[in-house]
Amino acid sequence: METGSKESENEQEAVIKEEVNLQFHWYLFSFFMIYFGSLLIPGVIFILYSLFFFIPNVMETRNFTSLFTELVPLLSLIFMPIIIIICYLLHLLFIALITRWFWNITEKKSPIKDGIIPRNIPSKILNYYHIRSFMIKYPKYIFTKGLFPWLSNWFFNFVGSSKIGKGTTIEEQVCADKYIDVGTNSYIGVSSVLTSHLVDGIFGNINYFELKVGNNVTLACLNNFASGCNLGDNSFLMPWASGGKHYTVSGNSFYSGLPLRKIFKGKTNEYLKIPQNIIAEEKKYRNDPSNLESLKKALSEYNDRQSEIMDENKPRITENEKETKAEITITDSEIPEAGDKADFALDFTTSSAISKINIKFLVLYIPIIWFSGILVSIIWYDFTRNKPPIQANPIIWIPTILLLPIIIFSMYITFIFGCLLFTKVFLVLINLIHKPKEGVFKAEIGNPDFDFWCLRTELKKIPIFLIRNSPLPYMDAWAFRWLGISMDFSSHLNDVWCDTEFIEMGRKVMVGQGAVIMSSMVVGKYLFIKNVIFDDYTVVGGQDTIAPGTIIGKDSVVGALSITNYGQILEDGWIYFGIPCIKLKENKYAESKRDFIRKVDVDEEKKYEIKHEVNIDEDKKELLQI
Amino acid sequence: MSVPSSLKGGPFTPSVLVRKRYVSYYIFLIWVSMISAILELWLYWQILWDPIRPLHFYIFLPLLFFIMYITMVITSLLFSKLLLIIVNAFHKPRTGIFLRHPSDKDYRYWSLRNTIKRWPVFCAHKFPFPFLDNICFKMFGVKTTFANSLFEGWVDTEFIDFGREVVVGQASIVQSAVIMGNFLIIKKTVIGDNVRIGAHCVVMPGTYIGKNCILGAGSFTTVEQVLEDGWIYIGTPAKKYKRNRFFEEDLEDKLEHTQNIDIEKIRVKYEENFFIRHDKHISLREKLKQRKEQLEEEHRRLANAP
Repeated sequence: METGSKESENEQEAVIKEEVNLQFHWYLFSFFMIYFGSLLIPGVIFILYSLFFFIPNVMETRNFTSLFTELVPLLSLIFMPIIIIICYLLHLLFIALITRWFWNITEKKSPIKDGIIPRNIPSKILNYYHIRSFMIKYPKYIFTKGLFPWLSNWFFNFVGSSKIGKGTTIEEQVCADKYIDVGTNSYIGVSSVLTSHLVDGIFGNINYFELKVGNNVTLACLNNFASGCNLGDNSFLMPWASGGKHYTVSGNSFYSGLPLRKIFKGKTNEYLKIPQNIIAEEKKYRNDPSNLESLKKALSEYNDRQSEIMDENKPRITENEKETKAEITITDSEIPEAGDKADFALDFTTSSAISKINIKFLVLYIPIIWFSGILVSIIWYDFTRNKPPIQANPIIWIPTILLLPIIIFSMYITFIFGCLLFTKVFLVLINLIHKPKEGVFKAEIGNPDFDFWCLRTELKKIPIFLIRNSPLPYMDAWAFRWLGISMDFSSHLNDVWCDTEFIEMGRKVMVGQGAVIMSSMVVGKYLFIKNVIFDDYTVVGGQDTIAPGTIIGKDSVVGALSITNYGQILEDGWIYFGIPCIKLKENKYAESKRDFIRKVDVDEEKKYEIKHEVNIDEDKKELLQI
Repeated sequence: MSVPSSLKGGPFTPSVLVRKRYVSYYIFLIWVSMISAILELWLYWQILWDPIRPLHFYIFLPLLFFIMYITMVITSLLFSKLLLIIVNAFHKPRTGIFLRHPSDKDYRYWSLRNTIKRWPVFCAHKFPFPFLDNICFKMFGVKTTFANSLFEGWVDTEFIDFGREVVVGQASIVQSAVIMGNFLIIKKTVIGDNVRIGAHCVVMPGTYIGKNCILGAGSFTTVEQVLEDGWIYIGTPAKKYKRNRFFEEDLEDKLEHTQNIDIEKIRVKYEENFFIRHDKHISLREKLKQRKEQLEEEHRRLANAP
């Protein structure tokens, strides 16, 4: 292993390996413009309504019944929520307008085009790619996580970042924010990833190609497609059916697998339990929409028959239970003795959710929220005190109203940091009572290690939850550092399901979106806690599952959708992939050729390479010739 | 554990909107719940507002917001339950296979139910402590206990029964309804006691998971699959892997010593569950022939490439 690392060091000298510098000033500028500009006018409307109508008519009405019997207080009360909703919608509208403006500016400076962007050579294209990626994030969160997720299609079309057809639903997911083209009447299931950009390694490339999805395509859930994929019309994907870069799916069929491939009648029936005649009818309907009625008839017949069967033998489940119980009694005699080593081997990965929620933990929540809330109300008090009524002197109120978005932002940040501070105080106290430690514990109430693990996890949830739902979720690195992950600000964890203790990270670690990083795992009755270590420049792909005890060596890459095993050690400078992940090849993305793309045709099961121009500034092209 | 910043997670209500007028129910629920919170604010204002001595007002204001929030969730839950009862009186929710087309009644009502449930679920999940989520589940007819942890992944809010002490892992999806092609499949999902569902798992509608089962990370079940009691299941789709012995007592010492595991061996074990493709009707000779042809074609293409 030693010689291997030396060799690669020599090779590293030959190729350029420059770290990418992110331009935080531009990011923050665009973010604050969007934030301030979008909240200004809704804020003015809200404040004016409150001061002129709501407070004098509702709050200063002393009698409860006259709130409902007199017309003006009643109307003021009824319209308050409506005004809030209207302000919210205006906020969305202004976000879209300003984002569109910024997007067009960046588009003029450096237009989007297909190609591979080298990540180790700084260039204008790379900079604008990063600025756009950052800029679209805040509006995307507001639209997709907000009150009206149905407006997000309109938003993406309006801004021009991606094209989404009519009648299409895209459920919440970590990507799908730019450069994708989805047809009409499609359904993209929850947590599936459609991404037009893919990072190979810290010194590798960014693959940036448009992702096309045809009409009437349905992705069930957890489907992953990377840049350059092309899903044809009527392709129906089972859960987990995923493809890498440049997969072409011709459509008109069901697909499954990892990587995906076509499945035929038998498999479709096995996976979905849809009778053959209905599948045949559906095929007819797909070819000719006039066959809708006959398909409906077949479906209703099936459903009626099914409900009759359900009524006849209702205790279907208990029968099943009986069957399985009988089977257990048979198989019990065949099992090897309890002492058998292989039987207790931990050769699979599960998850680390808290298995027992205790309402007692809420006792800690109330003081944390209360104390940090007092900090916020002090700011609000200072902001509004000693002001004459607005009817008497409106000029004094003008700066107050204009500064409202900034005050709200600072109140939010104060609240978050207040929560963080008080959580830290409680955490220190709790850790004094019981020190967190690695090992195997029983996951039952009464075991102190388990109880305190649950308590710590629930407690740490408040600040991290608040930060991640704030306009600037990138601040969570602070929270992680405070709460027990050793990391610096060059790596980020903001789009990851992540435990908050026993994780060590080196410099410039990139963790893909939707990955799960666990330092604790619940298996059966036992809780395993073990340290997870990431060395410098490691990349963890999207939708990965990192089990406790995983150690990832320097400059290594774990491919997307992989799963590591408990206590697995990954060596330096390799690309790992699979379930559980094994060595695929050496990490040589920095010196790899960039003018080829490898296309995969799923239906024909063919692979072929095509030449494609590298996406880099004209004056930087000579750097590639080494 | 914490949900990524671009996701919501928790109780899952699909955002399929068949008719635009369904949004009016949604806005009505928002309006009602806000009115209740405002009335609370009014009461608080009457009791404690004093412009000369504002200390009390501001000290207890955060607590008031906390209570207002919970009131908002409870009110919206009650009213959405009421709306659901009315809607279900018009059309009873049922299981089966339906058409994904606006003319299908079940599809429309499924979308309507989800739209009504959306606001309470959204509100409940915007609070870090999961007990509000569990109230939502119970209110919408999911059989569960308060100690279950169902908030890290996405769990549908109808036609699901959970046993005791179920763990739903991060990013895993437990469904009772799925859109596949032109079909909407709604089937009742039953999950037994002590089931541990791993990270990035998908439980499809109609799955029956027996007691003490473990579903390994990254696997999915098929529609109406039955997982037997006391087994560990892994694979796409899930297949039996080995007996689950992790519910036996006093294994701590034993488990601590079985850590160094050969990954290549596991890979061989996993092969059947994850990677083997069951196309056995092609004979080996034909397969080799096809492979050869493919390779030759690729070589030709590479040779022609400049």
